[in-house]
Amino acid sequence: MTTLTTPKPTSACATRHAYRSFAGSTLALARREFRDALASRWFLLYTIAFSVLAIAVSFMSLAGSGSQGFAGFGRTTAGLLNLIMLVVPLMAIIAGSGTIAGERERGTLLYLLAQPISRAELLLGKYIGLAVALCCSMFVGFGLSAAVLAWRAGGAGLSSFFMLIVFTCGLSLSMLSIGVLLSVLSRRSGVANGLGLFAWLLLVFVSDLGLMAGTVLFKLRVQEVFAIAIINPLQAFKMGVIVNMNASLDVLGPVGMYASLTYGNALPWLLAAVIIGWIFMPLALALVMFTKRGGV
Amino acid sequence: MIKAHHVTKRFGKVAAVNDLSFELGESESIALWGSNGAGKTTLIRCVLGMFPFKGNITIGGHDVRKRGKIARSFVGYVPQELAFHDDARLGSSILFFAGLKRVDATAAANALHMVGLAGHENKRLRDLSGGMKQRLALAIALIADPPIIVLDEPTSNLDASGREEVVDTLIQLRDKGKTLVFASHRPDEVVSLANRVLVMEKGQLVRSVTPTELWPTHAPVQTMRLHISMGSDELAAEVLRQAGHAVHLNGQGLCVSVPRNRKAQPLAALAQASIEIRDFEILDEVLAQPASSTEESKA
Amino acid sequence: MNTNHAILVALIATLALTRFAHAQTDAARSVDEIARLIEAASEGETVTIPAGRYEGNLRVSKPIVLDGHDAVIIDGLNNGTVVELTVPGITIRNLTIRGSGSTVDQEPAGIRAYDGPIIIEHNRFEEVYFGIDLRQSPDSIIRHNVVHGKDLELGRRGDGIRLWWSHGCQIHDNFVDGLRDMVFWYSEDLRIDRNRVVNSRYGLHFMYSHNTVLSENDLTENSVGIYLMYSNSITLRRNRIINNRGSSGYGIGLKDCDDITVEHNAILANRVGVYVDNSPSSFDSVGLIAHNSLSFNEIGLLATPITHNNVITANAFVENEEQVAVHGGGQLNNNVFAKDGFGNFWSSYAGFDLAGDGIGDSPYAPRNVFRDLLSREPNLRIFVHSPAQQAIELTARAFPDLNPEPMFEDPSPLTRPPTLDLFEPATTPSRAPMLAVACVLLLASGMGIWIAARQNSISVDIVQRSAQT
Repeated sequence: MTTLTTPKPTSACATRHAYRSFAGSTLALARREFRDALASRWFLLYTIAFSVLAIAVSFMSLAGSGSQGFAGFGRTTAGLLNLIMLVVPLMAIIAGSGTIAGERERGTLLYLLAQPISRAELLLGKYIGLAVALCCSMFVGFGLSAAVLAWRAGGAGLSSFFMLIVFTCGLSLSMLSIGVLLSVLSRRSGVANGLGLFAWLLLVFVSDLGLMAGTVLFKLRVQEVFAIAIINPLQAFKMGVIVNMNASLDVLGPVGMYASLTYGNALPWLLAAVIIGWIFMPLALALVMFTKRGGV
Repeated sequence: MIKAHHVTKRFGKVAAVNDLSFELGESESIALWGSNGAGKTTLIRCVLGMFPFKGNITIGGHDVRKRGKIARSFVGYVPQELAFHDDARLGSSILFFAGLKRVDATAAANALHMVGLAGHENKRLRDLSGGMKQRLALAIALIADPPIIVLDEPTSNLDASGREEVVDTLIQLRDKGKTLVFASHRPDEVVSLANRVLVMEKGQLVRSVTPTELWPTHAPVQTMRLHISMGSDELAAEVLRQAGHAVHLNGQGLCVSVPRNRKAQPLAALAQASIEIRDFEILDEVLAQPASSTEESKA
Repeated sequence: MNTNHAILVALIATLALTRFAHAQTDAARSVDEIARLIEAASEGETVTIPAGRYEGNLRVSKPIVLDGHDAVIIDGLNNGTVVELTVPGITIRNLTIRGSGSTVDQEPAGIRAYDGPIIIEHNRFEEVYFGIDLRQSPDSIIRHNVVHGKDLELGRRGDGIRLWWSHGCQIHDNFVDGLRDMVFWYSEDLRIDRNRVVNSRYGLHFMYSHNTVLSENDLTENSVGIYLMYSNSITLRRNRIINNRGSSGYGIGLKDCDDITVEHNAILANRVGVYVDNSPSSFDSVGLIAHNSLSFNEIGLLATPITHNNVITANAFVENEEQVAVHGGGQLNNNVFAKDGFGNFWSSYAGFDLAGDGIGDSPYAPRNVFRDLLSREPNLRIFVHSPAQQAIELTARAFPDLNPEPMFEDPSPLTRPPTLDLFEPATTPSRAPMLAVACVLLLASGMGIWIAARQNSISVDIVQRSAQT
């Protein structure tokens, strides 16, 4: 019973063994991260907050419209848009910023690093686990919202709703990447969370307000406003949802019109590309920092 | 199995490990001996490639910096400070590490059995005693049946009987041909487990000797462990030092080296200083603190 | 083995037979056969065309009834107008008419009439440039026709139904999909009911056409729902105008029209609900916009600053991104938003009704610094729907002095939505797919949470079981 018979990896086949095993250990980490996230208080809090707000928005948008409810789908989405742009980035950034810094603070990071896994696997495993947990949390809100829509508004806007979910998942992954990057850079989880909050404020409020002021003060041209605006993943997200809902950005005034005319059918892809860029760039940077700097 | 060449690790200006080289063959068992701050833990972390350092270390021919993952797959590691995710249950925790090492639940169950934790799978980690956590750490190190086992103070959280069990387990493993590297404060462990001792001082390797060279069999000195009432440890250590004894303080109690025929001396000194002694034990027959570690008491 | 062969042979035989049978019915005949039937018939007689497919262009110049019993296809082979009617008294019924030409300057149509009255009913049009084109054909009836256009971009399409100098016509229960407009030029005293226009430019388009009631029409996903231009004394009643978001994107556009009544319409989810452009244009005329649901539009009511003499009462303005806006900025002081003490319902109204009489205690006079900013700096519109917008509005609420003059005032806003008597669609989109989405999402997340919750105990079990083996 206590005989230890597992064959040792010989050095000859060890390399192949390592590549094959990448998925295994990353998945083990992802599974645990997912479980831990779901068991944690922040997850519960955000899930409840997001769900309650999503239901409230769905109801309020459809109230007073009588049986024309199904036409209110667009407004429900617009209402959800505001909610998502506030809550989802906060949730994802904070989830990300706590991850490495938290392990570091508890001392568990050292123990993990002594295991036969690479630093990249460790980071990616945690990222994947958190990403799945975040999507899981948002699905609760979206599911309840869809139930309200089905009840009050019939089946209108199904494909737009689907795209809203896809773009929201993209947004939360990009915010998670930013959070993870901040986490890698911070020694303590308090610092990481502080930086996360700061990044959230910056992306959600400060950058837009700054660009508004810039637009007015410097009389920026439409192409300049558009180019600067889509750098912000939140703006790219918003435009992506609207362009999927209305097939055009003309509701966003001259700048939106310019974008629709210039990029045409490529516009949704351009916006999706911005968000995908914001998923991979911070994550890649986090990977480089985590593996090269070697902080424990 | 392990080759280290000119390993240097600095934290700021302080060199925790300074130009240290050693080699370790298969089925060898070495102890790292030295005072707190001598660099034992840092050296172990370098060996595991947990952070960057100067020089190079290979395990089974794999550079721990460049191919750390493969190198580490040869090693089971028991840390000094036990940090687990306290909310998890023991069973799922060991299964997680089994997943990381890509072995199945049978291996995890075997490892738990080996360290005597079978049956505790449902306990939450925060409810485990220090000793159980230490044994869990050992179990995790053993899951994948690695050829090398690295232990940083493996018995520091254990009581006497637990320590004996762990040392027995380690002896078994050594006899099966495992390579052991361990840091220890306990001469009895060193003597029973190690066939070589690397004596470290201020990050440097000062001697590489056999335990018997370090502690000549007939040394006229014995080590006593005194259990002092809570909070008086430091004071007692100071009193004994002034009385001319070599003192070593750790979490388990106060270890004093005394000539074999003068074992009542420290007791008397403490009684005189009105420090209550709850209990004492004679640790080993004939081992003495080696000359090179008299610094230890100051650390 | 043998049975297999037999089945195979039988299959091949069946296939061959069906193909043959198909070829029989598909064998095209010439429209000349129809022309000969008409020639043989006497005036007023009903000519039943034998089932089949006829190719070519048909010209009818005798007052008869042509009935295809839904089994006749007349195919113009993408050349010229398919059926031309040159005399009054013709009825065209139960035909499928397809494949007109598409030369822009000739305006080829499915059916073109040069005199009235005529009746065009229960026909199906496919691949036509214009659908039905009445030129000086008064008192005609066009009903229960279905018109599908050619696959052309919006700017190159022809009109689904066009009337030109044709007074007194009844146009009802037609369906037009993917053409330009259903358009009425210089035609008066029409009846236009229960038509449905989708994927077109202007659903219903009036040019210099007066004295008409449009009711219970359904205009969905066009560029503009109903556009009235230079047309007077028109009533729009109980129409459904939804999701018109094209380049203009108006639910209803009123340009230089006098004596317009807009009542009991459902105007939902358009880019602009109602666009009032200088209507009424004369000073002694009044426009009435009452009992409509103006909901979920980007802008509920958009008006040019010179707009005057409109009475806007008892409407429900629900969740429009902007309830009322002035094109180019300014105030709407020359219009009234209440009649006989009844204002409108505004979902954004934040006042109280202590008396409990359904009328708010304070007027609804929205002042919004962000809207004001938008009208001065249109480029800033890119920031609507963002938290930054809300931050600005919230800040402005704390400093009321910052806010601009209100652009209008509803002195007696309703605190409950009025009953509107709207035209309800026969069928609403099925809710099953959305319910399915809800279930899938909730199940997915539920599964995740359940698995995570169970994982601990499961893994414990696994370890314990492994230990026993």
